[in-house]
Amino acid sequence: MKRSREKAASELFAALYPRLAGWCRRLVDDDETAHEIASEAFTRLWARWTSVAEPRGFLYVTAANLVRDHWRKLERERRAVRRATTEAAVTPHPEQADPSVRLLVQSLPERLRVPILLHYYADMPIREVSVLTGRKEGTVKADLHTARELLRAHLRRSLDHTL
Amino acid sequence: MITHSDEGPDFDPDDPLTVILQPPAEYLGAPPGRYEEIRRGASRRRLLRAAAGAALTCGVAALVVLPLHLTTAGRPASPTVPLAPPPASSRSTTTPPSTTAPAPVTPSPSARPTTTPTRTPGTRTAEPSVTSVPSLVQSAAPTGGATPSRK
Repeated sequence: MKRSREKAASELFAALYPRLAGWCRRLVDDDETAHEIASEAFTRLWARWTSVAEPRGFLYVTAANLVRDHWRKLERERRAVRRATTEAAVTPHPEQADPSVRLLVQSLPERLRVPILLHYYADMPIREVSVLTGRKEGTVKADLHTARELLRAHLRRSLDHTL
Repeated sequence: MITHSDEGPDFDPDDPLTVILQPPAEYLGAPPGRYEEIRRGASRRRLLRAAAGAALTCGVAALVVLPLHLTTAGRPASPTVPLAPPPASSRSTTTPPSTTAPAPVTPSPSARPTTTPTRTPGTRTAEPSVTSVPSLVQSAAPTGGATPSRK
């Protein structure tokens, strides 16, 4: 019993960890943070293994929350640095390999961010997103539509700015 | 990434947004020993949670049981109720002073006679004299002011 559970856990880890960590890597600044977030999501999953029905969804939602917390922490740190030093002296953080994704998703309101992260970045179908977020499928579709419109406008603005 | 069929008509594959929202899947292999580390951390957390749950259960049980225990322990102190009979008996012993109240009622007539006869034979004689000797009252009536004052 214990051995089969251990085997299932090992298989789940092998199947999902690289992808989850890669998903996190796209949203944070470095590999180490991505590993930390993915590991924490797996730890939380296995700490309550018996009560989680859908491990994949649980992992991604947990990771999305952890990423959000990480962003908030970064923002607080940045504000503190800004307060401590003059604004001009602070150089912006070195951007990651794919900054646009994070910046775009970060620009979304909280309510729209999770469906976008789960649907587009974690490849979850709308049905699954609706189950995980506790919203109706129609609501999820509407949220995704609104998020896309916002992102499109944001993208257009940034393109105009660069041109 | 997967192109979802349920995205709606506003999802154009040529849209730059499509490129951003559908990036190629990225994989980040787990560092060696990470799996064991996570498993250890999870089991430690499970243990902690179980301990916290047990402590909470014990606390709640104590909160429920203690007041009950205290009330049942407090009841022996209230055996003042069984002590009720003794007060009844002790009342009989202590009441004599209070029951003397009724007793004096009865004795008082007898006592009065016993005391009064010795003290005021005159007054006694005056009372009987009131009933028995109207003539005396009549004789007292002339003194007058005394009778209205008595009444």
